Amino acid sequence: MAEQQLSRLDDAALIRESQRGNRAAFEELVRHYDQAVLRLAMHITGSDTEAQDVYQDAFLKAYRNIGSFRFECSFYTWIYRIVTNLCLDSLRKKQVRKEDSATQVDSQGETYDVLDQVADGRPGADPERDLMRRELGATIARALDRLTPRERMVFELKHYQGLKLRTIGEMLNTTEETAKNTLFRATQKLRGSLATMR
Amino acid sequence: MNCEYVKENAVLLVYGDLADDARFEMERHVERCAACAAEVGAVRHLQDTMNTALLPEPTPNLLASSRMRLQEALEHVEHRKGWQRFFTFDVANWLYQARMAPAMVAALLIVGFLGGALTTWRIKPGADGNGGIFKSNPPQPAAEATIAGIRSINPDPADQNKVQINYDTVTRQQAQGSLSDPQIQKLLLFAAHSNVNPGVRNDVADLLTSQVADQQARDALIYGLRYDNNTGVRLKAIEALKPYVKQDVHVRDAVVEAVLNDASPGVRTEAILALDPVKADNSVRRVLMDLAERDHNDYIRRKAQDMLNQTPTIE
Repeated sequence: MAEQQLSRLDDAALIRESQRGNRAAFEELVRHYDQAVLRLAMHITGSDTEAQDVYQDAFLKAYRNIGSFRFECSFYTWIYRIVTNLCLDSLRKKQVRKEDSATQVDSQGETYDVLDQVADGRPGADPERDLMRRELGATIARALDRLTPRERMVFELKHYQGLKLRTIGEMLNTTEETAKNTLFRATQKLRGSLATMR
Repeated sequence: MNCEYVKENAVLLVYGDLADDARFEMERHVERCAACAAEVGAVRHLQDTMNTALLPEPTPNLLASSRMRLQEALEHVEHRKGWQRFFTFDVANWLYQARMAPAMVAALLIVGFLGGALTTWRIKPGADGNGGIFKSNPPQPAAEATIAGIRSINPDPADQNKVQINYDTVTRQQAQGSLSDPQIQKLLLFAAHSNVNPGVRNDVADLLTSQVADQQARDALIYGLRYDNNTGVRLKAIEALKPYVKQDVHVRDAVVEAVLNDASPGVRTEAILALDPVKADNSVRRVLMDLAERDHNDYIRRKAQDMLNQTPTIE
């Protein structure tokens, strides 16, 4: 708790410095959050390149608009609001293009399966279990793809990022109740899609 | 509490987003109702299933390259802003205002004159017979105080020959105390971030080394490693941070960044050596492999390869 408060104090000082045009302070602020931002963007876009684009656009937008930050919410909520909007745009574009979500393009321009990126850290993991894990991962990825961009985002923020519904509502500029309903729909759809696995 | 409510809120129960009283009531209901227990069980099963699909995590390489890209882009944003400011400066309007405000023009001339005079002459407070131009907080003598900036200039509406100027001064002070004194620590942290005197920053790095167990001292050293333009300071920062590379992920990230991006091969070499306790980590191994294959510096490539050779092979 004390550490969190200290971090907020640090953030406030860094934000004020950034508002005065101190770029080093802004870069330090970026480092407090950029790993979480990149992680969220990778989960949502499933691609290194797109995640980097979201990361870049989000922090540039934050830098340009830091002057209008009025400390009405935490910087964390503010930057996540920017990132979730960019991710939602990315998801919407992807749905229009109807891309195969499991196959992505990396920063070198080569295609890869998203699930291949998940390292199996267990020494001596057996190939059969590995194959099963991959199949399960592919089924889950397809189930996630069937969600609307908003449902996907709310599920990501709740399940993988562990945020409270109130915070999710703030980030998505909606109410806690709407976020709850969206999460309910998302879990119902996922349960339907994954029912055969039980 | 009814079954419909449980069905709608089971997901909140599983994800811990229910208020305590609602959770308590729901748990009691679920204990008695088999259908609701099955509903909650189904959501828990979904949660477990989703946890089995580990999503890709950003590697230190990806994070470092994202940071570099952002830094470059931020520089362009600043440049553009500077030029925009230049082009949007309305010279005609400024001249019009200057022409229409002789008092302000006079005030600016007076400020220029005073600014020069105050920085070169020793001023005696109250030397002005009729109360002087400094109505409040008479300044320190110029030898002991330096003018840091002018806050505001207010021409006297009743008399065009008078003007009120509010300004800040900087005076030299001295602090003495133990390293555990919060005031001393605050000054040390300020000095670590100050970019004026590399000698001072070097001394601070030495002192912070003894305080590295403290998170703030560690953060200041991480800051030094990332941003200080003095190689000696960065080397000292690595030396001090080395014992924490395994237990503090921020330290590890900063050291990995130094390995990848630092301008000095000496700092990069020390950073590679500092990664020794975490050389078996997947992400660190990947960075070392990249360096061993692609780095433009022969010595760095060899050092990275040496480190990899000492790493136990993982199937």
